[in-house]
Amino acid sequence: MPDADRVDAVVVGAGPAGAAAALELARAGRSVVLLERGPFPGSKNVYGGVVYGRVLDAVLPNWWDEVPVERWVVRRSTMVMTPTQALSIDFRSEAWGSAPYNGMTTYRADFDRWLAGKAVDAGATLVTSTVATGLLRDEGGRVIGVRTDRADGELRADVVIACDGVNSFLAKEAGLLPRAEAKHYTLGVKEVLALPREVIDERFGVHGDQGVDIEMLGCTAGIPGGGFLYTNAETVSVGVVLSVTHLAEAKVRPEQIVADLKAHPAIFPYLRGATVKEYAAHLIPEGGYGAMPRLYADGLLIAGDAAGMTLAAGIWLEGVNFAIGSGLAAGRTAAAALAAGDPSAARLSAYPADLHRSFVLADHKRLRKAPEVILSERMQQRYPGLIADLMEGMFTVTNPEPKPGMAALLRRAAKRNGVSLRDLAADGLKLGRVFR
Amino acid sequence: MTDATAVTDATAGVAGVAANGDPASPVRPLIAVGLRFVDQRPAVNPLTGAVTRDPAGAAFAPADGAALEHALRIAAAWSGTVLAVTVGPAVADEALRPVAALGVRVLRVAAVEPAPAGPDRGYLAELAADERALAARLVAAIRTVGEPALVLCGDRSSDRGTGALPALLAHELGAAQALGLVDLRIGGDPPLLLAERRLDGGRRERLVVPRPAVCSVEAAGVRLRRAPLPATLRAARAAVEVLEVPLATGGVAAPVVPEIGSARAYRPRPRVIAPPVGTARDRLRELTGVLDRQEPPTVVQPDSAAGAADALLGYLSRAGYLQPDQTWPDQT
Repeated sequence: MPDADRVDAVVVGAGPAGAAAALELARAGRSVVLLERGPFPGSKNVYGGVVYGRVLDAVLPNWWDEVPVERWVVRRSTMVMTPTQALSIDFRSEAWGSAPYNGMTTYRADFDRWLAGKAVDAGATLVTSTVATGLLRDEGGRVIGVRTDRADGELRADVVIACDGVNSFLAKEAGLLPRAEAKHYTLGVKEVLALPREVIDERFGVHGDQGVDIEMLGCTAGIPGGGFLYTNAETVSVGVVLSVTHLAEAKVRPEQIVADLKAHPAIFPYLRGATVKEYAAHLIPEGGYGAMPRLYADGLLIAGDAAGMTLAAGIWLEGVNFAIGSGLAAGRTAAAALAAGDPSAARLSAYPADLHRSFVLADHKRLRKAPEVILSERMQQRYPGLIADLMEGMFTVTNPEPKPGMAALLRRAAKRNGVSLRDLAADGLKLGRVFR
Repeated sequence: MTDATAVTDATAGVAGVAANGDPASPVRPLIAVGLRFVDQRPAVNPLTGAVTRDPAGAAFAPADGAALEHALRIAAAWSGTVLAVTVGPAVADEALRPVAALGVRVLRVAAVEPAPAGPDRGYLAELAADERALAARLVAAIRTVGEPALVLCGDRSSDRGTGALPALLAHELGAAQALGLVDLRIGGDPPLLLAERRLDGGRRERLVVPRPAVCSVEAAGVRLRRAPLPATLRAARAAVEVLEVPLATGGVAAPVVPEIGSARAYRPRPRVIAPPVGTARDRLRELTGVLDRQEPPTVVQPDSAAGAADALLGYLSRAGYLQPDQTWPDQT
């Protein structure tokens, strides 16, 4: 049990990043308090994606035997859409349906509580319904704890790890996030719809605990972003991710875009008869590597969404694994600094170096141009139509006319959608460079 | 058991009653709060019926929170101590720790946990026990700490409670009762325990509550305070005191658990219906009227309303709905 007013480390936010950081610190024998503003970890969470747990292999062996999973994703589908057309690239692997698995759908209220429970089991102290309202600093400006919204709410610590999510107030107060530029954020909007388990199995072609993840391009009314649909055990989650700045300019309600997506001829058959259980919306930091803040200061580390650790690279849309990876690294760095008795910025600078050696910043750095390309005007507004028209031309039988050549079809589709072949080549090259 | 309504006209001598709620007493008065543990997110296995408790759903009703806040305020005025008691499974400890952080002594009477493979006899016995048995167990638990000057409860739990428990507690303790209160405070000179509750027509009733007493309060007027951070940290990992109290306590007989023989679907005795009379052809004719003499529809176009009325009356007479010689007032 920690002292009432002083501990080795305080982790703010019991999401995946915070729980992972607290787990590492507790395992290193450090007194650590994990602060959560909600009544339990995950209670304030909004998440619309698949959780990839490979990052947990090293810290929680056989985690898949106990993780609160809804379904293991064995089908991954990418859908390019126009209002009346849809092209799906559908991949399925039975290997993803057995240990050690690949990705899963889960309710974050359950997953976050499970992961925070691991930190508590390791010795961390979880304090819920408590908001960290600010940082405590010494005369030299070093962070020496946090102030909370409880009476006598100052909690001193040698290291503070801010995992307080997107729009982190602690990172802003520390001067690590001096400007929150709207263009680096998207708005995730989702609905959770109830369907009987056997109906989901039948419609999505799965059985048992197998699940499906469908990612969509071209379903956001021209607003840069994308759509998603994935299966839980007895619900499906459907929603969109929208550029905040473009959404504001378009003056369209996000729930209208979700409603249109649900009514799309390629999506409606999956959802017929479903009833809405939940509606939620949340900001997502999608600025990528170039928009990340400085990750440390004297006595302070930031991880997870607070540090912008969301990979939105078109074909890869991941967040929780990056949050866990950054949280684990932050916890390790803090534990090492505490062991050395030196939580200074110089010592904590090992944190980004550690992240660069791992997938967390290596992937972000390699794919740093991806958000720009994926959210570009042509990619979002023209290429879905071009691809769909090309496919329609290929598969429309024009007898008694002879079949047109592919080059002619491509030229026709490009012209119809306002894309020059020069643009097409340039974007192809750009995409090749991004994903090389 | 005394009903507090009997002392509506403030009896000034109440404050001098030699109960342990007397501020002048050298013993610190004990104020007990009965908290009803509710699992708001239980998972029920559809095949076995096994119930899995979810700590995230562990909570007390808002009215219980109000009772606890009243208890803390009255304890401060009386320099008393507060004891919170609940009957529940181990998962209720998660909900009791924030209560302990408020400086309240917490006590959990262990409830029988359902067996993983489905209900067992112990669990069924607990389900079969009525609220009088529950009241007896709570009182037994409270008396392990001391004789209470005041027992507070929420007026209703969030899982369809009957609301009878506070009265049964008062019966077990031989205490006064004041139920369904919207306000409870120490006031007056000499200081008295004053209560207020709703009456019909928007009126209020003000009571002076003698001690010892059992009061139930609505979730109104007060909000449970938040614990300071140091106390929250101390309570986060503190063990919760657990007490085993048998179901048959304080003169309450052990509940009778119904014996379930074989479980099978309800099959009502078949009802005998007499077969229809006549042949199938006759029955069809009767049902459809297919070969009966039918009068084809007739269009009449009388010149006047009186002519139309005569035509209608003529038809009704022919069809047998009117007597041919029946007279009408305007025809006399």
